[in-house]
Amino acid sequence: MSRFVVIAEARDGDYRPSTYELLAQARRLAGSLGGEVAALTLGDDAGLRDRLSGLAHRVISIGGAGLAPYSADGWVAALGSALDALPARGAAPQVILFGESPRTREVLPRVAARLGAYAATNAVDLFEDGGRLLLRRPVYGGKAYAVHEIGAGRVLAAFRPHAFGADAPAGLPTAFEEVAAPATESRVTVLSSEAGAARTVDLTEANVVVAGGRGMKGPDNFHLLQELADALEGAVGYSRAVVDAGQAEHAQQVGKSGKTVSPTLYVAAGISGAIHHIMGMDTAKVVVAINTDPSAPIFGYADYGIVGDALQVLPALTEEIRRG
Amino acid sequence: MVVLAKEVPDLEAMVKVTADGGALEVEKRRGLNFFDEIAVEAALKLEQSAGASVLAVSAGAGTGIEALRRALAMGSDAALLVDDPALEHADSLTVARALAAAARREGFDLVLAGKQATDDEAGLVGPMVAELLGVPCVTNIIGLQVEGDIARVTRETEAGRETLSVALPAVLTVEKGLAEPRVPAVMGVMKAMKAQIPRVTLAELGAEAQPPLTLAGYATAPARPPAKMLEGEPATVAVELARLLKEEAKVL
Ligand SMILES: Cc1cc2nc3c(=O)[nH]c(=O)nc-3n(C[C@H](O)[C@H](O)[C@H](O)COP(=O)(O)OP(=O)(O)OC[C@H]3O[C@@H](n4cnc5c(N)ncnc54)[C@H](O)[C@@H]3O)c2cc1C
Ligand SMILES: Nc1ncnc2c1ncn2[C@@H]1O[C@H](COP(=O)(O)O)[C@@H](O)[C@H]1O
Repeated sequence: MSRFVVIAEARDGDYRPSTYELLAQARRLAGSLGGEVAALTLGDDAGLRDRLSGLAHRVISIGGAGLAPYSADGWVAALGSALDALPARGAAPQVILFGESPRTREVLPRVAARLGAYAATNAVDLFEDGGRLLLRRPVYGGKAYAVHEIGAGRVLAAFRPHAFGADAPAGLPTAFEEVAAPATESRVTVLSSEAGAARTVDLTEANVVVAGGRGMKGPDNFHLLQELADALEGAVGYSRAVVDAGQAEHAQQVGKSGKTVSPTLYVAAGISGAIHHIMGMDTAKVVVAINTDPSAPIFGYADYGIVGDALQVLPALTEEIRRG
Repeated sequence: MVVLAKEVPDLEAMVKVTADGGALEVEKRRGLNFFDEIAVEAALKLEQSAGASVLAVSAGAGTGIEALRRALAMGSDAALLVDDPALEHADSLTVARALAAAARREGFDLVLAGKQATDDEAGLVGPMVAELLGVPCVTNIIGLQVEGDIARVTRETEAGRETLSVALPAVLTVEKGLAEPRVPAVMGVMKAMKAQIPRVTLAELGAEAQPPLTLAGYATAPARPPAKMLEGEPATVAVELARLLKEEAKVL
C-alpha cells in the first residue's frame, strides 16, 4: 500500500492546475500499485476543499492561526506536524507531491529537513515500471535526466507544471478531515508588496508560451507576441538578450538564468536557440520556431520550423488562429 | 557571516551519460556555483558597511577547494572545507547537516547561500540549513540591507515584488540581480592560491550522513525528431502550421 499525499495549493480562487494534475497521477499510480491518495490543504486554501471531492480518498484541511495570511514558518510547522500524523506504513513508499511554486521552494526543503525525509525538486515524472516507483528529474540544465527509485521511506517531491495530464478517472469516495496546526509565529514580516507588470505564474503555468528574442527587433513589435498569446490563451516570454537590453522584465525571461517553462506549445520567434535559452523550455511538448536564419540552432530543438520573418509570420498565424 | 560555497562543474562543461546509463561523465572544469558567487559578493558588500567577517564554507568528497579559493580571491576572510568520503553523491540533507554543523561551530549572524546549484538544480540545501539551525529563511532575494540585527530583503513574487524584514540570525538564499560578482584582483588570486584551508570531517562536526535516494540510472534528454520545416509566404505557412498544430500535434 503506497501512499500519495498531494499538497493542494490555491491561487486566484481555485487550486492551481498542478494540484489537479498531481492528484490525477496519484490516482493512476494508486490504481496500478495499490494505495491511498490524500490531499492536504492549508489555511485559506482549505476553503476550496469541496473542489477536491472525488479526486482523493481523503482530504485533510489544516487550519490554525499561523496559516493565513501565508507565512513560510507557519506552513512548515503545519505541514511537518500533519505529515508526522500520517506515519509511513512499513516498507511502502510514501510520496508527498508538491507543484513547483515559490511557496513549495521555501517550504518543501524545510519540512524535509524537519522530518528527515528525502527531497526532490524540479521533477518531471513519477511513474511505475515493473512494480517499481520511479521519479525523473533533469540535472545540469537538462543535459541529462536522473531517475531515482522510491523505496521505503518518505519522499517530498516537487513537480513542474504540466508534468502530468489531469484527466484520470475520478469519483473516489472522499472523506473530509480537519486538523489544527500548532500555533506558530512568523519570524519574517512583510513590509510591503507591489504588483509588477509581469505575472510569472502566468508564464510558468501557461499552456502556451509565445517567446520573443532579439529578432523581434524591439519593443515596438512585442504586441505581435502578445496578440498571438492572447489568441492562444497563453503568456509571453523573452530571451535574455531582450531582458538584458532593458526591453522586458527579468521575471519574463525564459532560460537557465530565468524561468523554466514546460507548456504544451512553445513558440520561439526571433530566438537563436542558445543552450542557455533551451534549458528553460526544452521540456515543452511541442515547439515552433520562427527564424530568418535556416541554420539557427533553435530549429534543432523544434517540432515545426518556419524560415521567415517573425514580424510577418506572427500576425498571419494570429489571424489564422482567430479564424479558428 | 557564513557563505555556503558549492563547487560545481563549469556551466559549459560537457555532460555525457555513460553507455550503461549508470553514471554521468562530466568534464573536469570546476568552479564556484554561479549563485554562490553572487552570495560572496553580497557578503563582501555587507562586510564593508557592517564590519562583519566573511567565512566561506564548502562541503565535498575531495572537492570544494576550487570554490573556496575563488571565494578567498574575491576577498573572503577565511574558508573551511568539510571534506568527507560520505559526501560523494550525498543526499541534500546530509550536505545541509554538514554545513549547518560547520556554521554552528564557527558562529554566524547571517548565512548566505545560492538559490540553487547549477549541477543538481535542487535549491534544497539553503532552506534545509535554516531549518537545521532553527533560524528563519527567506529565499531568492534580490535586495539586502542590514540594520542592527534586522535584515531587510526584497524578492520577486509571482505578482511583482515584496520587501520583508527578518530578525537575525537567519539564512538567506540569493537570486541573480542581488549583486554583480567582482572579478578577483591578481593579488587576491595569489593570496588565495597560497592559503591553507582547514578541513573537517562529518564525525568531527558530529553530523550524520543518510544514504541518498536510490539512483536507478541516468537518461539523455529525449531527442525531438527533426523539425518539420514549412516554407512559403507568411499567410500560406500560417495556414499550414495551424492545421498541423490542430491535426498532427493536437495542441490546439
Ligand atoms: C550564464 C548564462 C546564462 C544565460 N541565461 C539565459 C537565459 O536564461 N535565457 C536566455 O534566453 N539566454 C540566456 N543566456 C544568453 C544566451 O546565451 C543567448 O545570448 C541569448 O539567449 C540570445 O538571445 P536571442 O536568441 O534573443 O538573440 P540572438 O542570439 O541575437 O538571436 C536572434 C535571432 O533572431 C533571428 N532573427 C533576426 N531577425 C529576425 C526576424 N525578422 N524574424 C525572425 N528571426 C529573426 C536571428 O537569425 C537570430 O537567430 C545566458 C548566457 C549565459 C552565459
Ligand atoms: N556541497 C556544498 N557545499 C557548500 N554549499 C553548498 C553545497 N551544496 C549546496 N550548497 C549551498 O546550497 C545552495 C543550493 O544548492 P542545491 O540545493 O544543491 O541546489 C548552493 O547555492 C550553495 O550555496
